[in-house]
Amino acid sequence: MKPRLPRLPRPKGRTRIEIDTSICGDGHEVDPRACGRCLRACEPAVFTLHQSFGVEEPNPYDPQFWRITALWPCLCTRCLKCVEACPAGAIRVRF
Amino acid sequence: MKHGAGGKWYLNARNYSEEIARKYNLREFLLEQYKNFEQIPVRKVAGINPVGLGYKLRIPIIGRIVKRTAERLLASRRPPSNPFRAEGHIGQVVPLEDGIAILETCAAEPIIEKNCMCRYMSRGVKEACCINFGVMSEIIDKLPRFIPEKGKYHLSRSEAVVRFREHNRRGYIGTIWFGPYPYINNLCSCAAPECAGLRPRLDYGITSIYKAEYVVQLDRSRCRGCLDCVQACPFGVLKPDETQGCIKADRGRCFGCGLCRHACPTGALGLQPRDLVPELRGRY
Repeated sequence: MKPRLPRLPRPKGRTRIEIDTSICGDGHEVDPRACGRCLRACEPAVFTLHQSFGVEEPNPYDPQFWRITALWPCLCTRCLKCVEACPAGAIRVRF
Repeated sequence: MKHGAGGKWYLNARNYSEEIARKYNLREFLLEQYKNFEQIPVRKVAGINPVGLGYKLRIPIIGRIVKRTAERLLASRRPPSNPFRAEGHIGQVVPLEDGIAILETCAAEPIIEKNCMCRYMSRGVKEACCINFGVMSEIIDKLPRFIPEKGKYHLSRSEAVVRFREHNRRGYIGTIWFGPYPYINNLCSCAAPECAGLRPRLDYGITSIYKAEYVVQLDRSRCRGCLDCVQACPFGVLKPDETQGCIKADRGRCFGCGLCRHACPTGALGLQPRDLVPELRGRY
């Protein structure tokens, strides 16, 4: 059984994690569902893979309508493994 | 029936019945909800954007309002109206025995095992470990992305018990969910930090899941101090007690999942009904 830490250290102050959707997701040829390296690199699982907004979307399964958002940035430990993991350099972390 | 109302709500077969599914028109509701399921965590709720929720909770008064709004939404007892919100979607931790009792006596046929959407959303991994019943099974039939590519999809009662036991032994926390209240359709095997139901509770203190009807009970005389259970506890309840060469349990923080028992070679750990512990009674 792998050891689990219920709480990882949380740095003070805001961490801003931006994913450039012109490089990853939403209409781009890279399907975030096929890559997902940032999802697995992040220990506290800050990122979420989701369908982009709009109920009016013609087809929710269309790969062009999937993207990744940093949903829980306050849990970020600032290890920057996601930046290293991203093959396209779409992730920017500011703090 | 709700938690703590004397008796276990999840062992009430009425909550699994076709009658409730029809009354609230859940076939349409759940299909609509699960078609766009992966959007729900990023959708605005009552004008609040959940992206960066942790920072919003830190704001003095607004943070408290946000927390209350989230809790009221999750614990809502009103008839479900909006399929794009997690209304009345609240769960409780169940130990292995109760999970098996649910599968053997209460769960409505057909029973399926689908891919966990929490793990898919947070890790991009498809892992079949959510056991669904009744109406939910019919809906997943129509949504191929939830159907496991390998392994069995439709399960009999005894197969479901075997699968649930496997997950539990592997260190996944058994949880039972209203979806939406009062219909029960999900017996999950969750893991932190991937689980979207455990995360608000563990990281933000929002009651998104209730603790089990049990708490851990430690028999010190049988503990040899091997500390295997310390690794097995997903909530960090068990800690080494250096002075006495055994472990100590912080029972106030125990969720009663019973996973530590699988790790203990001497059987020193057990579960005790929460009601029998005066200081923890009613504290879910």
